[in-house]
Amino acid sequence: MSERRALKTIISEHKAAFLIIFILVLGGFFGTFFILDLLSARNPNRIILATTTSTYDSGLLDYLLPEFTQKTGIEVSILSVGTGQALVYGENGDVDVILVHSRSREDAFVNDIDGQTPFGINRACVMYNDFIIVGDENNPAELLQNDNITTVMTKLKFSIDAGNTTFYSRGDGSGTYSKEISLWSFIGVTPDIEWFGEPDKYTETGQGMAATLQMTYQDANNQGYTLIDRGTWLTFNDTYTILQILAESVVGEDNLLNPYGVIPVNLELHPQVKYNSVLRFVGFLTSDYGQNLINTYTKNGETLFHAAFGICNSTHNCPTTEKEISFWTIYQQEFT
Amino acid sequence: MDNKRKMSNEIIEGIFEALYLIVTLNPEIWSVIEVSFRVSLISTFLAALVSLPIGSFIGLREFRGKRFLSNLINTFMGFPPVVMGLIVFLLLSTGGIFGSLGLLYSTSAMIIAQFLLAVPIIIGTGKAAIESVDPALKETVLSLGANERQLWWELIKHSKKSIIAGFLVAFGQAISEVGAVMIVGGNIRWATRTFTTSIVLHTRMGEFGMAIALGIILVSIAFILNYGLTRLQGGDK
Repeated sequence: MSERRALKTIISEHKAAFLIIFILVLGGFFGTFFILDLLSARNPNRIILATTTSTYDSGLLDYLLPEFTQKTGIEVSILSVGTGQALVYGENGDVDVILVHSRSREDAFVNDIDGQTPFGINRACVMYNDFIIVGDENNPAELLQNDNITTVMTKLKFSIDAGNTTFYSRGDGSGTYSKEISLWSFIGVTPDIEWFGEPDKYTETGQGMAATLQMTYQDANNQGYTLIDRGTWLTFNDTYTILQILAESVVGEDNLLNPYGVIPVNLELHPQVKYNSVLRFVGFLTSDYGQNLINTYTKNGETLFHAAFGICNSTHNCPTTEKEISFWTIYQQEFT
Repeated sequence: MDNKRKMSNEIIEGIFEALYLIVTLNPEIWSVIEVSFRVSLISTFLAALVSLPIGSFIGLREFRGKRFLSNLINTFMGFPPVVMGLIVFLLLSTGGIFGSLGLLYSTSAMIIAQFLLAVPIIIGTGKAAIESVDPALKETVLSLGANERQLWWELIKHSKKSIIAGFLVAFGQAISEVGAVMIVGGNIRWATRTFTTSIVLHTRMGEFGMAIALGIILVSIAFILNYGLTRLQGGDK
């Protein structure tokens, strides 16, 4: 008891000193945590993948990546953004590798325009699925199963103009948005001009695919339509029961195919990228093992993505080159 | 067609699912809790260490430009978090001044942003706390022959409740902030996903159970913080 009292006296006599020690200990404690945090952020076994919301929201990456981490010890952090944003992150070297779906912009990303060092190198085709148009089961635009894409877009345009349809657009520079704009261009429509300032007719959500589908479903007049990749649709079609597939590719048409490419960021341009880990990652995705995993990923018995490395050709709007196959062969061997 | 009108059912189901997720200690929820608390605690504590000496110094001394400095601090206390997110993003991005550190999309980046947001809040509240001490006390202490260090110590002692309140406010802001941590953290699952960014994600994906579970926890934290604040203020002299 007296010892405790003595201790109390000491503390009360040197309050300021004890407070300073207390603060230093706390500071050291939290400072250490912060330093640990800094170290983990620079872990060479962690690569950052910028990808489209469609590959993330569909759950495909959550299914593939643990297999890769288990085999290699490399952790992959996913930034789920649109294709446009992913390309910009890659250009800036803020990420190590990108997985996107817009072939023309991917080509611009890997080509040395005007002799400048390209942003990315050795693009590899990974998989494809297709785009579909889903809408309210009332189908106010009266789309029919065998309508070709020009007819579909024309019907949608007339229904929108009549106030019977609201089209939900990503409006975010994503691959899906690029595709949508190209579909409108078939009938000579530029949505930004056609429905300028008319969000009741043409709603630009500025968000990911899942959010845009959610907004289509929530449409107050039950007349929402949107363009979506089949992978994301199959992931959510149970939740959004009043929406249905109202238009899809008819036989012999390839306008709606949706190929995905993976591109390592150019080490020459951004020396800090973890290039060796990225090579193994792309090797994994394109190996027979990885490709088989992609093919076996299903929801309700339906395949979401089809493996495409070495298969993609001009009918998929995505030709494969000899160089692409020969370059990646050595990196695939680790996984076979 | 009226399936959509079942939204109210979804909310009730969501609440049940939320309780289930909380009770079964769902690993995703734990990851989010861990990241949120780690980022908010580290940033607020480090901010407090830096800001309290500065804040109490400004509160204690009279000097030229004090009024201007006070206005500046007050402005920065309400600094828009997304703008702070943008600034930290630009600094840490590969093209930015600190790009070579490779910290973008990490909890460190989030801590830095939250730290910068918390500093003015703790300086401001600390300064106000010191200034709000009864001037009579100041005179008494000085008349008893105290030097400036002793005066500073007495003032800190008398305003400790307000100082702690300022700390709680900064912590509450850090844990409920969404814009800055989304921009610099990237909302990466198992790595930089917090309460707020997770709620945004799960709501947009229609997974209301998870969103509601996280919302319940976040609101509970806010409630506890506010309860603490009220107790402190009620008991303040």
